[in-house]
Amino acid sequence: MEMIHVEEISTSALRSRQISSIHHLRQISFTPKRSKKSEVIYKFTQQNLHACKLSLTPQLVISLFLLMGIIFVPIGFVALHASRSVVEIVNRYDTECMPDEFKSNKVAYIQDISVSKNCTLAIKIPKFMKAPIHIYYQLDNYYQNHRRYVKSRNDKQLQYGLHYIQTSSCMPEEYSNGYPIVPCGLVAWSMFNDTYSFVRHGAPLFINRKNISWKSDRDHKFGEKIFPFNFQNGTLIGGKTLDPTIPLSEQEDLMVWMRASALPSFRKIYGRIEDDLDADEVVFVNIGNNYNTYTFGGKKKLVLSTSNMLLGGKNDFLGLSYITTGFSCIFLAVFFALLHVKNQRPDHDTSHFSWTRKNTIS
Amino acid sequence: TRKRQSVICRYPNGRLVLYCKGADTVIYERLVDGNHNLKKRSIDHLEQFGNSGLRTLCLAYKELNNDVYESWNQKFIVAKSSLHDREKKLDEIAEVIENELILIGCTAIEDKLQEGVPSCIEILSKGGIKIWMLTGDKMETAINIAYACNLVNNDMMQFTISSDTDAIREVEDRGDQVQTARYIQGSVKQDLDRYLQDADNFLNNPSRPKLTLIIDGKCLTYALESCLRGKFLRLSLICNAVVCCRVSPLQKAQVTSLVRKGARKITLSIGDGANDVSMIQAAHVGVGISGFEGMQAAMASDFSIAQFRFLSDLLLVHGRWAYLRLCKVITYFFYKNLTFTLTQFWFTFQTGFSGQRFYDDWYQSLYNVIFTALPVVFLGLFDKDVSASLSKRYPELYQEGIRNMYFKWRVVAVWAFFAIYQSLVFYYFTTIASKYGQNSSGKIFGIWDVGTMSFTCVVVTVNIRLLMACDSVTRWHYISVGGSILGWFVFIFIYSSIMTPFDKQENIYYVIYVLTDTFYFYLALLLIPIAALLGDFAYQGLQRWFSPYNYQIIQEIHKDEKDDNRRNESLHIKNDLTPEEATSYAISQLPREKSKHTGFAFDSPGYESFFASEQGIIASHKAWDVARRASMRSRSNKTTT
Repeated sequence: MEMIHVEEISTSALRSRQISSIHHLRQISFTPKRSKKSEVIYKFTQQNLHACKLSLTPQLVISLFLLMGIIFVPIGFVALHASRSVVEIVNRYDTECMPDEFKSNKVAYIQDISVSKNCTLAIKIPKFMKAPIHIYYQLDNYYQNHRRYVKSRNDKQLQYGLHYIQTSSCMPEEYSNGYPIVPCGLVAWSMFNDTYSFVRHGAPLFINRKNISWKSDRDHKFGEKIFPFNFQNGTLIGGKTLDPTIPLSEQEDLMVWMRASALPSFRKIYGRIEDDLDADEVVFVNIGNNYNTYTFGGKKKLVLSTSNMLLGGKNDFLGLSYITTGFSCIFLAVFFALLHVKNQRPDHDTSHFSWTRKNTIS
Repeated sequence: TRKRQSVICRYPNGRLVLYCKGADTVIYERLVDGNHNLKKRSIDHLEQFGNSGLRTLCLAYKELNNDVYESWNQKFIVAKSSLHDREKKLDEIAEVIENELILIGCTAIEDKLQEGVPSCIEILSKGGIKIWMLTGDKMETAINIAYACNLVNNDMMQFTISSDTDAIREVEDRGDQVQTARYIQGSVKQDLDRYLQDADNFLNNPSRPKLTLIIDGKCLTYALESCLRGKFLRLSLICNAVVCCRVSPLQKAQVTSLVRKGARKITLSIGDGANDVSMIQAAHVGVGISGFEGMQAAMASDFSIAQFRFLSDLLLVHGRWAYLRLCKVITYFFYKNLTFTLTQFWFTFQTGFSGQRFYDDWYQSLYNVIFTALPVVFLGLFDKDVSASLSKRYPELYQEGIRNMYFKWRVVAVWAFFAIYQSLVFYYFTTIASKYGQNSSGKIFGIWDVGTMSFTCVVVTVNIRLLMACDSVTRWHYISVGGSILGWFVFIFIYSSIMTPFDKQENIYYVIYVLTDTFYFYLALLLIPIAALLGDFAYQGLQRWFSPYNYQIIQEIHKDEKDDNRRNESLHIKNDLTPEEATSYAISQLPREKSKHTGFAFDSPGYESFFASEQGIIASHKAWDVARRASMRSRSNKTTT
């Protein structure tokens, strides 16, 4: 309950304001005018932007599939042809090159320095191979992508050599006999050291061992004034020894080896033969079977391969996948076209709404 | 509740009058005998007013003697300042003086429905939303308003639970409170049982009529008790519309909580006055209409709109879009991270399970920050499946949100399946295709070259997949997708050409330059995203063909129509006002003259008085009162005397 004094509210003030506002009526616009900049901002904040609505009509789907098929199939055939034109010879030699008396104790064989590791294989050339012919060594079951292995290197030291001393990532191949190792790390220590030399028609074939590493490695990653130091000097020999008079930027074998590969079965380039090899020729290769893959059951293979400009080595995969994708696109295009022809849904058909369908069912 | 408000005035000549206004029932109880004609005429008028949907009040007065008033006032002050049972004592004191009143007459206020309310309610019920009306008006007014706004129509069968029947009135007249309460409770229980029986019978009938439940406040107190609330809830959920009249603000909140917790459905409350605040806060979503009755409801709500009809926009347009966008953003986020992570997972099988990463650290860190972040933001901001006007034209589309169609396990599983498929494509295609010598030089890639190639494909594919997931593509989408892919290339070109003093391993040094020197890079970049997206694209085509969503059908039907961006125009005041309307619009724009009267018909202010507050005694605060008093204080500051 309240106690108030009854009073009359004066409305004259209200009335006067009424009159003045009517005069302004003509100037009152009911949609506010906005400047160009605030118009743009207005459209953004009101979610009113001009948009194009992609709707997947049957025509669009069919034509897209057809287009992709038409583009992909030719590319696939070109790639496949390029890959098929590569001649590749793969020769596994780690079991071949094992002398009979050591067949039961392979590890002892490989670790015994006194035993000769020379081995000769005959390779028959199946088809004409045009120069340059690349020589690869392929290692299987070799996990260059193991985490501890990939970690065990120091790229700064490759550039700066002994000036760079924070090489703790290279443990245990960091110091040997008290002196730092350049290049340090397991990757360099385990360098591949088999050698190959080829004899054809009685005369040795020249193998070009230059320019087998990527140019960026030579120019930027490995120092020009850095020389191997205290390398492979410890009790455990992991692989190749490096010539301490050649700077790192010219040690192509090292550079090729240091590029850790992605898969456990990989190839690395050894060199190039600059001569053509005719079909049905027999070439003899003298292999120095030095590298120890026997301890862990790895395989060593020697690969001779030509290369084509487009894809490099013999890899059917890209060509095949292009063709497969192209043909599946065409197949899907045909499938959708058949569906469309057989089962055309009219444009303005409202009978497919779930609520109309529910009503017709119930 | 008191349902009346009295004021004692002293005229300048010393005359003391008590004026009372209130609901007809309570005023009529307190009238002095006599004046039957006036009373009867007033009752007839009241009925007429009620049937026309007007809100009615009765006015009465009484002359007071000075001595009587003084002695009463003493008792009143004592009652005001008492510490126990203050309400009961005030009730008794009021009873003492509010009796023997002389009827002045009755008033009726036209409380017109806002523009667009009936069509809004119709659209919302077509969208599958059940609408309940909770009001403080009496039953006839409430039913009238329900008819007016399309909530109830003559085809519907009405279940009425009222406390205004003769039988109940008879028991009330006997005066025994306990017995009355028990009787009303029994009758409510009987009614509920009977109606539940009827409703169950109707369930088996395929062509059943729609059902309406009408219940009034007094019965509602008994229906909300723990023994009956289960039945009440069940019955009200079967009915298509529920009208509760004569409810107090507390009961509004109680009913809302009942549905929210008992039925476990999403509830939305919309109200415009201070008496709706508790209801707004009790629901999942509270919507306040800001306007004539002040800003209390708007301040207490989650969303505030200006007119009731904007509710259909809020729900059917923005609510639906928000649901669609949220589902798309969430599923897309999981998809893109799953794809990215699974490629590394496949790699672990070939590293001897040593845990070697396939991607460089920076790639992983920046993936979600730079390379795939912005496009999904634009998807979440701007995606529309159908335009605003179409959303309102087909309110049934709202059902897809109610049934959670876009976030079922099936939808998530499809995204996950394609994420797995794509990750397999990325990993195996890049690694197998990169195995042997590249170009005519025959040189071999290393691990970081292959990883970078794979990551490039991931970034490109995931961004293009986003464009495939959008229903409407603005220029910002193109800019952000293109910008993200470009950002990746800019990043990798810069990153691979610098050697910082902090990196111990220059894994990525010159990687991209090595890659771009080979044909493998371009061929794989053309093939791999397309092979990866092939599955998604085929699935989308098949899904649209064999089991399209409703919105996709609507998109097809209306695909030739121009984009309708002008929905905002309909929300503005129309340009074509008649001169009278223009005048009234101009007047409404004037600064409002604050009235000294509070104007709530059936709500009386809390039991605070000037004297009690002077003596430092404050009555207990009710939520709606606090809000109202806050607004009143601002008014009183601005009132000029």
